Parts: sequence; structure tokens; C-alpha cells
Amino acid sequence: MSTLANQARGTGNPRNGPGPTADVRPPRRRPQDDRRKRRRHSFSRFDTKASPYLYVAPFFLLFGLVGLFPLVYTFIVSLNDWDLLSGAGQWVGLENYRVELADPYFWNSLFNTFSIFLLSAIPQLVVATFIAAMLDRNIRAKTFWRMGILLPYVVTPVAVTLIFSSAFDEKYGMINNLIGMLDIDPVSWKSEVFPSHLAIATMVNWRWTGYNALILLAAMQAVPREIHESAAIDGAGALRRFFSITLPSIRPTMIFVIITATIGGLQIFTEPKLFNPSSSALGGPNREYQTTVLYLWDLAFNRGDFGKASAVAWMLFLIIIAIGLLNFLLSTTIASAETRRRGAPRFGRRRRNPRGIPIDTIAAVQFPAAEPADRQEPKP
Amino acid sequence: MKRARRIRISAAVASAAAVALAVTSCSGGGTASDEPASTENPVTLKVTTFGTMGLDGLYEQYENDNPGITIEATNIDTGGNALTDWKTKQAAGSGLPDVQAVEEGWLGQVMTVSDTFVDLRDHGASEIQDRWVPWKTAQATDPEGRIIGYGTDIGPQGICYNGDLLEDAGLPSDREEVAELLGGDSASWKDFFDTGKKYEQETGKAWYDQSGFVWNAMVNQLPEGYYTADGSLNIEGNTELRERWDLLADAAQSGLSAAQTQWDWGKGQAFVDGSFATFVCPGWMLGVLKGQVEAAGGDADSGWDFADVFPGGPANWGGTFLTVPEQSTHPAEAAKLAEWLTNATSQAAAFEAAGTFPSNIEAQSDPVVTGQNDLTAFFNDAPIGEILGNRAEGVEAQFKGADDSVIQEQVFGPATIALDKGTDGQSAWDSALETLKNLDLK
Repeated sequence: MSTLANQARGTGNPRNGPGPTADVRPPRRRPQDDRRKRRRHSFSRFDTKASPYLYVAPFFLLFGLVGLFPLVYTFIVSLNDWDLLSGAGQWVGLENYRVELADPYFWNSLFNTFSIFLLSAIPQLVVATFIAAMLDRNIRAKTFWRMGILLPYVVTPVAVTLIFSSAFDEKYGMINNLIGMLDIDPVSWKSEVFPSHLAIATMVNWRWTGYNALILLAAMQAVPREIHESAAIDGAGALRRFFSITLPSIRPTMIFVIITATIGGLQIFTEPKLFNPSSSALGGPNREYQTTVLYLWDLAFNRGDFGKASAVAWMLFLIIIAIGLLNFLLSTTIASAETRRRGAPRFGRRRRNPRGIPIDTIAAVQFPAAEPADRQEPKP
Repeated sequence: MKRARRIRISAAVASAAAVALAVTSCSGGGTASDEPASTENPVTLKVTTFGTMGLDGLYEQYENDNPGITIEATNIDTGGNALTDWKTKQAAGSGLPDVQAVEEGWLGQVMTVSDTFVDLRDHGASEIQDRWVPWKTAQATDPEGRIIGYGTDIGPQGICYNGDLLEDAGLPSDREEVAELLGGDSASWKDFFDTGKKYEQETGKAWYDQSGFVWNAMVNQLPEGYYTADGSLNIEGNTELRERWDLLADAAQSGLSAAQTQWDWGKGQAFVDGSFATFVCPGWMLGVLKGQVEAAGGDADSGWDFADVFPGGPANWGGTFLTVPEQSTHPAEAAKLAEWLTNATSQAAAFEAAGTFPSNIEAQSDPVVTGQNDLTAFFNDAPIGEILGNRAEGVEAQFKGADDSVIQEQVFGPATIALDKGTDGQSAWDSALETLKNLDLK
């Protein structure tokens, strides 16, 4: 950005030789020389203007191929009566959406997804923040503890699910055996709604808590120690410092963690799919823990209804976007409320920015209208 | 100047590389000719099977007998996963092997796209179709009369029982006596459950493992199951089905079901801890049972035996076909391999390897099938091949509709679990009908 702004103002790096201004009016020589020069000039302009786009192009090409195209194609499929085996049938418009919105199994799957998501995300974030706060203190063998909490993340989810699935077995499982010793009746982990959600949330938590704790720990370590020290001198206790300094400082990271947890939570598949691997009924005998992705998989590959499965996929996509927007709105509201409370404009903080970016560049970026003359192409 | 040229050169190199890549990726494909394979014209055949079909040992022999043939075999762990694999590739229109194993349970779905499979009559199916029991070939014939599959195994059902447990309950444990006890040739489900009630009163333990498999057997042995022969749904108002359902519900209410998780059985524990005394056993299930017992640390002394009797008349559960998808680039060679894998000698060898009872008539009386092997030793020296041959007599092929497996798993799967958990027959049946309506199956 700053390079572009500088060149626009004609203050290009002198090491690059004469700037564009000099190139436009060369002393007249042979015509082919002139042509070559002009070509070279236009190429360098093309280079400056287009190169950044070319460099990011591979990602967008790939994204178009494996992201955007399937997205659009899925939408087209969802407007058809499309059988998995016999292919495209009749164009039915939004009929698939209408049918799915009236299907109790679709709503059941949404309920299950949100229930498992809330049961996993909330305890997970609370515990992850707590673990991160503990690891942020001066403890011995830091690397050992930090690696330790990441270990569950290293294990493939399939293996995790198989182990938990056998532990949660209703007749022979370890957990029911243990609570049997306490004279508690066995719990139907695999055929009742709440117990099965709890069991699946446990798997998710086991896998992701450590991962989130590490991200939060990184954010906590970026909080300047001086603030903590001065607060401590002022008499703030550990708890007070945690709530008044640590938590507000890691808010952006916290929002990031919440958004990724939301996306992951709404797309949960492996854990419920393999929770009862021997059963051919997906997500519990009566769909007790059939999540939305599982439901759409069932629609597509067991019942062969690609049209309806695509409609469900699109509705899930829209739900995730809606929740993402909600997250974004909430976080910007919180952030702007924060700025107002501090009473200091963001600009003032940037002026003292430590990276040494010229302040006028920031000003140009932030207030482009302030220097309109600079943005025009210099006249020869 | 220098910089510009360097960029131009690198652009030329890049585009040359791209062209080279495109060219090589094209030349990677095989030739689509269908000349007979020889050492000059090597042909690679891809074969996809699932579970334990007992064919793995045969490929090498075929390669040796037919120079130029290379077999690339893929075996998928379960039939369910194989179905997903087939469906995905079928839907994508590419990736199917030259020889694809198809299970009876999803034959209904295969038949909706039967024109994407090679008509094996073009490769001599008509001359050899007497090789199999007639109903097996009939199953693999589509409405236009095209034969799309060669039969491998079938699943005639007998009763597996635990002799030690029956003895403890004061019941006979000898194979012939057990068959008599359950009603012999005229055995009915009522006899089966009545004996179960006696056993339950004596021991307080369950009679069979769970209601799902029993229900499958009850439905499969009817001339028409979830669909009528002309392909329309046949559940609501089907009195024959409903009578059987009530029998099963009564049995479950009387505590005859051990309410086990099917295909899990506590990782085999339930087969060795005396949870239940009988088990419905199609031929291929014998190997499964043995595996379960062994997984739980049991062996031939665990008491399991196999009786030549089945309630409600002859019943078949499962069985497989070898098909040649139209996608195959070597249909003639593929059909030849499928033909060879389903001949009498190969099928007898497959039975010896995996206990899959052949649909090939000649193989059924082959000494390898009727004789002793690992499996007979495990089942208290029961003449398994002979018993299965008897059990196969009188089996009729039932029409399988496109959504047969979905109905079995998603409609009656939950309903039979509900029975095992103590729900009464009427409510479980009602909820099954409601599920059927919600799934909007036709």
C-alpha cells in the first residue's frame, strides 16, 4: 500500500533509475529503439499494477475450482429433483428448500447440531481460557505442559471417536461400568438425546480444548507485563487483573477462537458418524444425535436424494454465514464501545506505532480525502 | 531490459511445463481396445469386493493361467462402505472397477441403473446360466431380461445355538434334537419363541441377541417383503408382515431379546458371556460369529453349534454378485474373470477360505464344501456345507425395491431397537409407519 502511494506521488525509490515521468519523454533516437523503450515502460507499469494480483491469483484460482464452483453447482443441484444414481431430473425451483423446511428431521438435525455445539463450545472456551491463564504464569517445564495440552489434537479424530465410542458403550462400556460401581443406573449414551450429546461434546472438548488454550496463551503473552505489574502495585489481585487486564486484551483472539469454533461446531461430522460405527442408522436409532451434516450425508448417500441434500447444504451454509455476521457485528459493537469508553481516538495510538511506518502514510491510508492532489498522476 | 527478458523466458518455461504436464497426463490413460489379453497385449483388471468373499487367493492363479492379465484387487471392509463407494463412483460417472461386487441388499438400487452394467449375455451368460440356483440368476436379471451379474455366494439361514447354555437350561443340546425341538421341517416362529420362553423361565436369560436380525429373517423369507413383486410399497396394511411383527413384539416383551447392539455385541463379549443362546445364521454369518467369539477370547469350546432348522421355512439373507460396469475398458476380459471366479472350483475354494456358501449348484456338493474345515471344527464338527445345502432348498428370490435397504435400516431398524427397549408392538409399528411417511419413500 505504501509503495503504491509513494509511486503515485512520483517519489519512487531512486535506485530503480528514472521514474515513469522521465520515461515518457525520451530523447528521440531510432524508432525501433523508441518502440522497445515504450514496450518496456508499459511492461513495468503492468508489472507494478498487476503483479500483486498475479501473486494472489493461484489461491483464488484454486478457490474458484474447489470452493466457488462446487458452491454454485450445489446451488444448481438444489433446484432440481436430482437422484444420486440416475442424475438430474426435473427443475423444481425452490421446492427442495420448501420440503426440507417442513421436514421434522431437518429441524431435529439443527437442534442436535446447536445442542452439541453449545455443550462443547462453552465449557471448552471456559476451560481453555483457564488453562491458558495457568500456563501464562511462571511454571516449570513450560514446553512440556504446552505440548501436553496439544497432544489430544495430534490424535486423529477417527481414533478418538473409536476409543470414546467403546468407553461410552451402553452394555459393556467403561463409563457405565464405573458408574455402576456407584450404584447409578446405566446411562443410554447412544440412544438418548441428552446423554448422547454430552458424550459427543466430550469428544469434541477433549480434542479442541488444548488447541484453543494454546492460541489464547499466545494472545495472553502479548499483553505487556508492565500493565500487570503496575496494576499489581496498585493493589489489584490476580483475579481482578485477569478480568480487567487479561480478558479485555485477548478479546480479538477470543473472537477468532469463537468464530472458528462456531464454524467447526456447525459442521460436526466425524464424531457423530463414528460414535456408533456398527450401526447403519446414522446418528442414533431415532436420530438422537444426527447433526445437520450427518443428515445431509444420509440424504445424499443413503436415500440418494442429491437435490434435497444440496438444499440442506446451502441452508447450512447460509446459517453459518448468518452466525458469522452476528459474531462480526457483536465484536465491532464491543470494540467501538471500548474505544468510546477509553476516550482516545485510534489515530492517536497509531501515531506512536512501533513499526516505524511513516505517519503520513497512515494518514494517507486513513484519510485519503485529506490529500487529493497527491493521488493524481503527476503531469509531465 | 534484462529483467523484462528474464520474465519472458520464465514465462516461456512455465507454459512449456504446463503443456508437458497436460500431454503426459493424457498419455497416462490406458488403451480402450478389447482384444484378448496376451503377453503382447497386457491388460490390467480392477476388482472391487467387500467383507470376506474368499476370492483373494484366486487372483494369483488366474494371473498365472492367463498371461498378460494383471489383477488389481481392492477389498472394502463392509458392505455398507462398499455401497457408498459404488454409489459415489456411479454418480460421478467414473472410477468404477472392471469387476464390481454387488450385494443382494443393494441390488434394488443397482437395478434402477441396470443399463450402466454390461449385459453378460453378450459374453456367454446364456450358455452358463444353469450353473447357479435359478432364483440367483433371476435376481441378477433386469426387467429387460439382461443378465448383469454372476452369482457368488448365497445366504441360506440356519440356527446357531450354544449347546452348553441349552444343556444348563435342561434342554437338549444335540444338533438333531435341537432341530426337532424347534419344530423340525415344519418349524414356525411360534415354536421358536415358545422354546425361548421355556429357556427364559428356566434361566432368566435372553433367547436371541436382538430383534433386528430376527426381523430381517422374518421379512426376507416372505414371497413379497417391503415391496410387492411389481415394485410398489407393501408395508401399511400388510397383514402377513404385521402378524410376524406382533409375534416378535411379544417375544421381546417376554424378555427373549438380549437387546444387544447389532454388529457390535460388546466387541464379541456377548457371544461368550451367555447373554443369549441362539442366533440366526446365514452361511456367511458363521465366519462372523467365529470372529466375534475369538475377539472376545473364546474358541471352539465356547459351545456354539449349528442346527439344520429354520423357523418359518427356508430363508435367504444376503449374497453377492459379480458385475461388469459399462465403464470398464476391457468388458470381455472382465466378464471372463467374473465367469471364472464364479465357476464350481473357484466357488468351492472361496467357501473353504471364508465360509461363503456358493450359489453355484455343482460347488454346493463339492467335497471341499461338504467336508471338514476350520469352521466345522469351530462349530462342534457340524457338517456346515451339508446343512447349508439343505437350508438353501426351497428358497425363493424376493423382489428388492430401490429403497429396501433404507426401509430395513431407517424404518425398521429403530422400531426393532424400540421393541428391545420395551416398547409395545403397536406403538413401535406406528412409529415405523410414521418414519416411513417422513422419509417420503416410494
